[in-house]
Amino acid sequence: MRDQISKYTGKLLADRSACADGIAFAAQDDVLITAGAPGLAELAGNTLSRLNSLALVAARPSLPFADFLIARAAEGEDCIVPQDTETRTFLHDIPFLRRKDLTGDPSPVLAKLLGNRKGVIVEGVGIVAVGAITVEQAFINYSSVFHSTFVKYLQDVLADGFRLPGEREAFQAFRSQWLRPLSAAGLDFVPSLPGDKEAILDEIERVGRYTVERGLVDSFFGNISAAAGELIYISQTAASLDELKGCIDPVPADNSSTTGITASSELLAHRKIYEQTGARVILHGHPKFAVVMSMLCDRKKECNIKDCWKDCPHVRDLGGTPVVAGEIGAGGLAKRVPPVIGASGSAIVYGHGVFTLGREGFGEAFATMVDVENFCREEYFRRVDGKVL
Amino acid sequence: MGWTGKLLHVDLTRGTCERREIPAEILHAYLGGRGLGVRLMRDFFRLDPFDPDMPIIFAVGPLCGTNSPTAARLACVSRSPLTGTIYDCSAGGRFAWRLKAAGLDAVFITGQSARPALLAIDGARAELLPAGALWGKGVKETVASLKERGSVTAIGPAGENGVLFANIMMGEGNSIGRGGLGAVMGRKRLKAITVQGEGTTPVADRERFDAARADVMRLFRASPVIFGELGISEYGTPALVDLMAQRRMAPTENFRATFFADSGNYSGPAIKRECGAKKEGCYGCPIQCKKASAQGEALPEYETVNHFGALNGISDLHAIVRANSLCNELGMDTISAAATLSAFGEARGRFPDPAEVASLLADIACRRGEGELLGLGSRRLAEQLGHSEVSMSVKSLELPAYDPRGAYGMALAYATSNRGGCHLRAYPISHEILRKPVPTDRFSFSGKARIIKIAEDVNAAVDSLVACKFAFFGATLEEYGELLTAATGVEYGPESLKAIGERIYLTERFYNCENGFSRKDDTLPERFFTEPGSGGEGIDVPPVDRERFSEELQKYYRIRGLDENGGFGGRNILEELP
Repeated sequence: MRDQISKYTGKLLADRSACADGIAFAAQDDVLITAGAPGLAELAGNTLSRLNSLALVAARPSLPFADFLIARAAEGEDCIVPQDTETRTFLHDIPFLRRKDLTGDPSPVLAKLLGNRKGVIVEGVGIVAVGAITVEQAFINYSSVFHSTFVKYLQDVLADGFRLPGEREAFQAFRSQWLRPLSAAGLDFVPSLPGDKEAILDEIERVGRYTVERGLVDSFFGNISAAAGELIYISQTAASLDELKGCIDPVPADNSSTTGITASSELLAHRKIYEQTGARVILHGHPKFAVVMSMLCDRKKECNIKDCWKDCPHVRDLGGTPVVAGEIGAGGLAKRVPPVIGASGSAIVYGHGVFTLGREGFGEAFATMVDVENFCREEYFRRVDGKVL
Repeated sequence: MGWTGKLLHVDLTRGTCERREIPAEILHAYLGGRGLGVRLMRDFFRLDPFDPDMPIIFAVGPLCGTNSPTAARLACVSRSPLTGTIYDCSAGGRFAWRLKAAGLDAVFITGQSARPALLAIDGARAELLPAGALWGKGVKETVASLKERGSVTAIGPAGENGVLFANIMMGEGNSIGRGGLGAVMGRKRLKAITVQGEGTTPVADRERFDAARADVMRLFRASPVIFGELGISEYGTPALVDLMAQRRMAPTENFRATFFADSGNYSGPAIKRECGAKKEGCYGCPIQCKKASAQGEALPEYETVNHFGALNGISDLHAIVRANSLCNELGMDTISAAATLSAFGEARGRFPDPAEVASLLADIACRRGEGELLGLGSRRLAEQLGHSEVSMSVKSLELPAYDPRGAYGMALAYATSNRGGCHLRAYPISHEILRKPVPTDRFSFSGKARIIKIAEDVNAAVDSLVACKFAFFGATLEEYGELLTAATGVEYGPESLKAIGERIYLTERFYNCENGFSRKDDTLPERFFTEPGSGGEGIDVPPVDRERFSEELQKYYRIRGLDENGGFGGRNILEELP
């Protein structure tokens, strides 16, 4: 398991979600092992030894947003409830421990919280996430908590402004230093995707990697596909887009075989998009600013709909990209995205992520996703700058 | 809340039915279903399975009677005459829901009736009635003649005649299968149980319950295995046929091969096309993974199509459907029946053709001709034929349709399963093949000892809720813990549920060890260590590495707190448990 710990430590560094000197893992088979930053490693080991699970990560996020969310929470609150799809579907809520409540060894109380939820935030310490059966799962849960706290903090700042000492400065540092310009520059795409299987698989694997490297998706979320005759080549469910070798299912368009039962949960959406648009490829990521902006709605005050993410029937607009509601898989996204994506080549799903198309190859789909995210990023900061915070 | 706290104690020898209290602390500590049944076996587990005093227990769970998805189920618990192990089987249908509505968490049946009997439960009333007229009848006729009495569970001729893999059949076509509990019921001369009830199961916190239910349903919709267009809701478990073929791990010709070129004849899409498969399922279940023909005939599951298909070299879908129907009518387990026929076929050098399958199944149920020997299951059959190597079983339970050479977690899980060669105890196919909740490397033992241990604990809890394993292709104990807490008013979460699962698992292991089981039984048939599977399309299927297997088994023992022989080292764990 040490190789797995090394691998996922590397991923936390590569996606810049954790501080280089603040990452630790614990894993247990018949013995417990720990690795990483000594203090965190001890905490990770002590906590995991109290759990009937295989792995745990304790890491200090590279951004202070999770701590700010705790500090901004009202007295008496003990969890944060982000509204993005990843949290709602997989995490439900994220418990936290306040710094003032940490006395002595926090591992017993941490273990108790992790006995009910996949990830916990410990103020001043970091995000602690558990992997029930793999080290990868601990990484995924850390990544989801990081994603959720990122999205929620940006939403809260836009809604309520800065409230704490140091917030403004930290936010400025995030904006000017942590964020990097997003572009497709330097990436190679096959201009027109050929029909042969190997070339298609190679291109999907490569573009999947690009999607992760440019921060357009986190952990094992997102999916990617290409249509070729009577087949759709689509990434498998629970596949990390930067590791797609051997994880792409060829699915017959006529459902004459069920080998694609392991395909992405968005297979139906992809199939319908192909049917309705004639596109050649589809890319789906979870770029953070698009997720944040998709949940801003001018009509919320006068609207009676409570569960906007699934029930909103309206098609809104973000810089020419339609925004629709709809849950993952069989939950509605597959009905609402296909009719609206053809015109612009992109669609945003409320609180969830972005679908983009390529008529010939992935270059167009990737560039479109970059454009959507850049628009949303600029629009977000335009709105922040427009408010007196 | 959640539980009724009542058990119906039935003594067939004395002809009595009596309602008794179940202590709340036992319900809280063992939940219901499998856990409750296993706990209630504490004073009886050493008895011979056919001893008149051996109980057979039907237990529902605290979620039964609520609209928790997939929770209208029960567990049937006793000691298996096929394996000699403690045994439980989870089954759906309407019976469990009606049992709860009759105000019962469990029915505990002991003794032996002098004459064929029927146990009729109607609300608070329970009585034993003569069933001589039903003895010898098939399941369909038995169920039809009792339908006015509510939901029915019954044995067929196989159970009456002591076939060691006889099922107890639920009236809606579900079965209490694998371990031969139908033969236990038959030995007690209990032909059937009927139940009806009008009671409701209150929920302690309706708002919390509804939120948890919405979370579960959202995860079901997000799961390609459950509600995906190629998933089990659409095609039933035969959705796995194509996948297992592609992964080169479909047991073929008594596990001599792992690929059957004609498996497409009985794939999910083929069954849908040829049989007009329509959705059916357990009461209140949103998944509806059962499939029935246009004429209402129950269609076979994945394990059944593979074992009456590839395992016996048969490619005729309609012959497979007939074999499935025959087993259901006679009250026999399809996996063990087909695997025993396959072992028989290998031993004699010729696998049975479809016509012979049908006649041999009838012979087995009636214990006549070759059926006398076949009715003992593959292990005893193979030994008596002088070919013990052809029984593809663990602890005498025939292996299902996932070749262990294609998934090493599955290999370990077959060996450690407390009820013998079963895929459902740890269900590693979920992550090794179906990528849920996350994928693991199917050709690696790394981490598998811990993973299997955790999954066994999880599934023991799931079997005690009682919920369907398929629900966990989407949901987790997080959501089901919420449902349970909201239903009962007692706080549960994933970790506390896993602790309950561990308690149940160790209790079962202890019973087995006390009955003579040990490390020598925690292994696979020799074939898997010496013969490769059918590689192809870039997939190599080598034999299982015996050394790594043994190493991982020892890790498993250490993680479980067992000694190197898989035992408790003289410790009486029952004294430590509630």
